[in-house]
Amino acid sequence: MITRAATVERPRIGSGAAPILRFEGVCKRYGPLEALAGVTFQVNRGEVVCLIGPSGSGKSTLLRCANALESIDGGRVILDGVDVHDRRTDARKLRRRMGMVFQNFELFPHLTVLRNVAVGPTTVLGMSPPKAAERAMELLRKVGLAEKASQHPAALSGGQQQRVAIARALAMQPDVMLFDEPTSALDPETIGEVLSVMKRLADEGMTMVVVTHEMDFAKRVGSWIVVFDHGKVVEQGPPRQVFEEPTVQRTRDFLSHLGWHGESLAASDLLVHSPSNTP
Amino acid sequence: MTFDWSVVWDNRWRLISGAEMTIVLTATTMAVALPGGLLLALLRLSPFRVVRSFTTGIVEFFRATPLILQIYWIFYVLPAAFDIRLSEFATALLGLSLNVSSFNSETFRAGIQSIRPGQWNAALALGMSKPQVLHKIILPQAMLRVLPALASTWVSLFKDTSLVSIIAVADLSYVALKIRSETYRVLEVLTAMAALYCLMGYPQAKLVDWLHRRLKVAE
Repeated sequence: MITRAATVERPRIGSGAAPILRFEGVCKRYGPLEALAGVTFQVNRGEVVCLIGPSGSGKSTLLRCANALESIDGGRVILDGVDVHDRRTDARKLRRRMGMVFQNFELFPHLTVLRNVAVGPTTVLGMSPPKAAERAMELLRKVGLAEKASQHPAALSGGQQQRVAIARALAMQPDVMLFDEPTSALDPETIGEVLSVMKRLADEGMTMVVVTHEMDFAKRVGSWIVVFDHGKVVEQGPPRQVFEEPTVQRTRDFLSHLGWHGESLAASDLLVHSPSNTP
Repeated sequence: MTFDWSVVWDNRWRLISGAEMTIVLTATTMAVALPGGLLLALLRLSPFRVVRSFTTGIVEFFRATPLILQIYWIFYVLPAAFDIRLSEFATALLGLSLNVSSFNSETFRAGIQSIRPGQWNAALALGMSKPQVLHKIILPQAMLRVLPALASTWVSLFKDTSLVSIIAVADLSYVALKIRSETYRVLEVLTAMAALYCLMGYPQAKLVDWLHRRLKVAE
């Protein structure tokens, strides 16, 4: 599906030359609560940008603003040169280009696994059902769940459901994948299988924005880390800098709160699930 | 006291045709009130406040007033005030349909709103339009959830059709009560009437129970 892998280099620096998604001073209020207070950063093609920070700091809200599931109260979100929240923009067209994976999977319980993955292409792209089913099977094989194609989501474990959800998002062949805490609702033993699918996706060159509390994943797979606190970006940079020499006290507080004390990359490697252990 | 059950047997074809009318009225009303209820439910979820309030007004009116009054009103007031004349059957159908549509709309609305917002978000994120989300994702799930409630409404409707006998629609009640007044065989005729309603209603009630059990497991 994703064949750009070899041609895309992953810039290590957020101000690189090929931005696909840009957040410019994005503001979002819920009544008196300022959920996002002027968030600015960019995502380059092929990058894995990890958004980290305490719960309620605005990371998930930002993702929902990225594909216009939420409106914004200020600033702009630019996808490949197009203002996502502009009135004249067809939000539906832009959403096709951004795959989204949710914390609670949100598979469609009345459809089989195969139809869950195929429903986007048939409904939105007008693809013929046999062709969509073919694409869906291919993606289910990719996430290691081809044998579950005819089952309903309720028969699957959380980790399996999330892998189907990833396949469902990939079926639209998006330019960017948005992950909203994809492993937060999972049993510890199934987190690894989801992370390794994500890792493989990253290796293939998929552009990803990942809201996560999996610091090992962020450190090892992330190419750019954005640290949120109280609706603001308090620090951003390559993982080595953010995790080992955080420049801001807020970042240090957050990491030490998680029990992170700047281990070396080598040590944390032991904690990362190998990408080859997917069933 | 002696019973004369022959009165039931002699009038069997009239009773059967009355039962037929009851079934036809129930089925036709539901055939109108299912799409009608869905339409009202969707209008009540409309983004436009005027549409919402107007529909809410209609629904609440028909839920808050007795069915017998609604039937009388259509029967007497429509012709008098608006010069709209309907046959007895059409009057009965209109009254029942408006009433049951209102109840169905509440059932549908509850069903639609019981689907968590995440399902909307997931479908919208794929690039679906709102009508597509409703059609492909929300309604199929909502329908399954409200099926037992709709079936209960069906059984109530089946019995409530007896109210149309007041405007001389020849349903089972009307026919039976007519035979009673012709023959003065109150006990025999009313017993036959009860037996016929029960014969038809019991399997429906059982079907509802089965749906409840069946769909509960599927949750």
